[in-house]
Amino acid sequence: MPADIPAPRPVAVTPATEPLNVGVGYSDAADAVTAGRAAAAEALAGLNGTPPELIIVYASVSYDLIALLHTIRRATGKAPLVGATTSGQFHDGRLIDPGLGVSVLALSAGPYRFGTASVTGVTENGDDAGQRLARAARTAAGPEPSAHAAVLLLTTGLAGHQQELLNGVHKVVGAPVPVVGGSAGDDRLLIRTCVFENDNVLTDGGATAVWIASPTPLAVVAEHGWHDVGLPLLVTKSDGLVIQEIAGRPAVEVFREHFHDEVDFERPGLIKPAPGYLSAYAFGLIQPDGSKLVRGAYIDEDGELRTFSPLPLYAPVQIVSCKAEDLLRVTGDVVRQSLAGRDASVLLAFSCVARLDVLAEQGAEEAALIQDAAGDVATFGFYTYGEFARTTRVAGYHNATLTAIAL
Amino acid sequence: MTAAVPADSETEQLRRQLAEAVDAARDAYRDTTRLIQLLDLLGRPTESAELIGDMLNVLSDAFFADVVCMAEVAGDRLLVSGSCGLPEDDPAYTDGWPVGEAARHTLATAEPTALHGDVRGDDVPGSMAGLDIRSAAWIPLSAQRYADSLLILFRSLDQPFAVADLRMLTSVAVRLRMALDEREHHAIIEQLAHYGHLLARHLEVQPLLDEAAGLLLQLTRADRAWVVTVEGGEGRLRAHRGLTPEITAAWPVPAKSLDDLPACDSGLPEVLKVAVARENGATALLYAGRERARPFAQGTLEIMTILANYIGVALTNAELYHALAERVTRDPLTGLANRSALVSHLDTLLSADDPTRVGVLFCDLDGFKSVNDLFGHEAGDELLMQVADRLRGSVRPDDLLARFGGDEFVIVLDRVKQLSEVAEIGARVCADLDDRLVVCGEQVHVSASIGGVLGVRGKATPSTMLRDADAAMYVAKARGSGQVEVFDEDASHRSRDRLDLRAELLLAQTRGQLHLAYQPIFALDSRAIVAFEALLRWTHPHHGTVPPDVFIPLAEETGAIVEIGQWVLAQACRQLAQWHRLPEGRGLGMSVNLSPVQLHQPQAAERTLDVIRAAGLHPADIWLEITEHSYLRHEVTEYAGALGAAGVHLVLDDFGTAYSNLSYLKRLPIEILKIDKSFVSGVTGPGGGHLDLSIVRAILAIADSLGLVAIAEGIETEDQRTALRSLGCRLGQGYLLSRPLPAAQAGLLLRPQSQMPARAHRVG
Repeated sequence: MPADIPAPRPVAVTPATEPLNVGVGYSDAADAVTAGRAAAAEALAGLNGTPPELIIVYASVSYDLIALLHTIRRATGKAPLVGATTSGQFHDGRLIDPGLGVSVLALSAGPYRFGTASVTGVTENGDDAGQRLARAARTAAGPEPSAHAAVLLLTTGLAGHQQELLNGVHKVVGAPVPVVGGSAGDDRLLIRTCVFENDNVLTDGGATAVWIASPTPLAVVAEHGWHDVGLPLLVTKSDGLVIQEIAGRPAVEVFREHFHDEVDFERPGLIKPAPGYLSAYAFGLIQPDGSKLVRGAYIDEDGELRTFSPLPLYAPVQIVSCKAEDLLRVTGDVVRQSLAGRDASVLLAFSCVARLDVLAEQGAEEAALIQDAAGDVATFGFYTYGEFARTTRVAGYHNATLTAIAL
Repeated sequence: MTAAVPADSETEQLRRQLAEAVDAARDAYRDTTRLIQLLDLLGRPTESAELIGDMLNVLSDAFFADVVCMAEVAGDRLLVSGSCGLPEDDPAYTDGWPVGEAARHTLATAEPTALHGDVRGDDVPGSMAGLDIRSAAWIPLSAQRYADSLLILFRSLDQPFAVADLRMLTSVAVRLRMALDEREHHAIIEQLAHYGHLLARHLEVQPLLDEAAGLLLQLTRADRAWVVTVEGGEGRLRAHRGLTPEITAAWPVPAKSLDDLPACDSGLPEVLKVAVARENGATALLYAGRERARPFAQGTLEIMTILANYIGVALTNAELYHALAERVTRDPLTGLANRSALVSHLDTLLSADDPTRVGVLFCDLDGFKSVNDLFGHEAGDELLMQVADRLRGSVRPDDLLARFGGDEFVIVLDRVKQLSEVAEIGARVCADLDDRLVVCGEQVHVSASIGGVLGVRGKATPSTMLRDADAAMYVAKARGSGQVEVFDEDASHRSRDRLDLRAELLLAQTRGQLHLAYQPIFALDSRAIVAFEALLRWTHPHHGTVPPDVFIPLAEETGAIVEIGQWVLAQACRQLAQWHRLPEGRGLGMSVNLSPVQLHQPQAAERTLDVIRAAGLHPADIWLEITEHSYLRHEVTEYAGALGAAGVHLVLDDFGTAYSNLSYLKRLPIEILKIDKSFVSGVTGPGGGHLDLSIVRAILAIADSLGLVAIAEGIETEDQRTALRSLGCRLGQGYLLSRPLPAAQAGLLLRPQSQMPARAHRVG
């Protein structure tokens, strides 16, 4: 009898990708060098010996930023670094209040390839800057094709032109590549915001980006939780950031009509809210699908109604409002949607400083809820002056919204 | 009655109604805003590219579309020309994707198509597969059926494009197309204004039409463009863009067939034709064609008409220039190339990179002057025209025939290998010309003297070649009429040296290079000096002493001899006057040579006498030596007569040589004969001396019989002197007696010396 010849066993071809290792470090030391050294060391320790392939740094604008980056880079070596100044940070369920602290995220490559780049000139020609930035970041990630990609976009918060920047990025990368990120903050000082790339600190007009090449689709999620408190209206007259008429009537008057007695305008604990900034009320820009993009608004010292980014001509709006619980209600959803179907190691989230204002003393709850929903997945984010979440259409600049991507 | 409190259900109903009203208002506002945004964009004065970019962004935003693109049909594929949502390196821009069912339907019907739920794969570019498109709309960009461009919106949102959406999109698309067309029209007009007038810078018709064809293609957005001219009942394809060799091979065509568009069979479904309207000159036709049945934009014909006007102006301009250039480069009488055209042509040939050489034939008509003199200038002109025609028939097709001036013609021979070819062609031309022509009813015999040279490209220049050929021609002419002479390099060199000398001779006098030497003429018996012959000498700074037989002919050729002769006479007269003041110098004569050229000058006799008298001399102190010449003109007789009457002694030089003519002696008041050196040296020679002796004896006999004095020239030996004396020759000169000497040394000879002969009595 012939001996049984065992059939050759099929070799399991599983992509031998390393898991994405994540390390988060933090320091609230007042001295940039001390803080940078401590935060970087802690972040790198979390990588369990794998080399860092991307470093993300969020820092208070109060630091000597050059010294801070220098110190961190000395520890992290040649790994590309991006980052931004913030108006508060969060990670591991913890809120770092505006005004202090540096948070460092160290990522190994895992299944991804990262390419970073930065540009200036957003103020002069946002579209062009966006195109240059997208091309440079994509090129930096190397020539190998990847099935999927996403762009992490950080821009200076006081430069404006965020949607134009996004238009430029979109023109280059197209609809298949979602964009996530935010505008840098400056502890609500509204003086100077910065973004970082490697050793460089770019102030207003600068932007930086990470091209994330991925073997699997990457999804960006955004939710705000605001609800309308009035009927649809048309902005009938505006001049740049000043809204002059709504539905043919003085805009301030119409805006005020929607205020509710329950809303407390004087909130304690904030370092420096924008003058007249009514965190609880905003414009909801009506979208084709009925959803709304939140656009923050405030009445300035001269009694004029202003927004942070210009509303389109004859914008259809509804005045929207929220309470802390409205905002916190969507937090878990954003995290869960981001992580759904993914074996993620880290959640990068971007929340608006306006949300922090509304949350007030409940501010820390958002950070905690994010971590709760994420479970074991590391969470890392900052409070911005505007968030990016370009998912379907070209429009992707938000206010008062929580956006996230899971890697 | 108490106020009615609404029941819960009623409240609920009101709430629902409010929500519905809010939704309706929201939709209405959203639509309003969309429309306002889109119309606002269309109204902005942005450039096309920016307008498209902004429009696609707003459409993506307002209609919640992941991808919005403008696509054009190219063959059986759709190519994206602009998009919001496609990556910039998407193959949809370069390779496109097949025209799917939805696109085909939209193009054919010019109606929008919307799909929801089951958007088929072949309707979506491959690169968008990952977007999970749930809904899409194809909007025609033109109201015309079978147009070629579409606006396409793709959505991952599972929501159909509503009929109202499609209506709005269609309306916006058509307006977008119009706005783009208008911008394109403006851009074309701008282009036309910018480039159209530049056509007029062309001075040649061909490059002008070539550029026009390129511009035509650009301005009409055609696939092919071509320019045809109609001349002599024939339509010729002059320039084109994009025509296949099969089509161009069919040209030229009969002009009649051009009236009929299909007859110019370009195989194109869409063709526009515009004629270039011109008062005079060749008609031109402009054609623009499209490969597919895609109508030209409105106003294209108008654009072509404006371009045609520009082309018309430029053509007229080029023709005018051509006529002017013709006038500048053509000899008006014969229509041949003129001197400047000849030189420039020769220059072009000589600068060409080609191993072959370039030949030049210089033709000068023999006896042209006599035709002019006999029959008048009109006859001369007619003769030149007939000669030009003859020459035209003699030259090869590639040769250039030019009228150089007067009765001189030049033929430039390209691609010649050796000098013998030049000589052969020269001989042929010469033979062709050697004939009788009827000019003004008179038979005239024509021949030409031809000189030829061969030039090496990159080395020879037009001026050296023409100069050398001219010199060769002179050599030919010297040999008689109807001769050909070709110069090789050495001959050219010699002629060149001669020409250089000729030029320098003009300056020799002012540069003090000319001086006189004096050779005494002795009485052979008494050895007394009776006169001196003044001999012109030229000491050239480089060549040293230039022999008189070299430079005198040059001076005669250039006419410099007149001035030089005058100077010689004055100089010699002054010297003689000086010697006359010496006791030993009284009664001394001075013999001065005259060139025949000098005799032809007006008032030559008066001027000669003036010079003599100015020196304080009597005309009888001067002997003027005339050389024998084959012809004897009236002026010469007149001159000699006047001088003879005044007392000047006339000497006939070189008597007995080739041209010896006794009529000289008869018609001129000659008193003295000079026996040529060749006879003198022969009188004592071994063997041959007998003949010369007889000649000398005969000359002396003639002189004796006519009462003339004979002077023997070139006496070099004592035997010769003895022989001459025994023959009865009384006067003589030569190296035996004295070489020509500078004035100071010559003056010394006049001093009384024991060995010197006693002074002879004056000749007369």
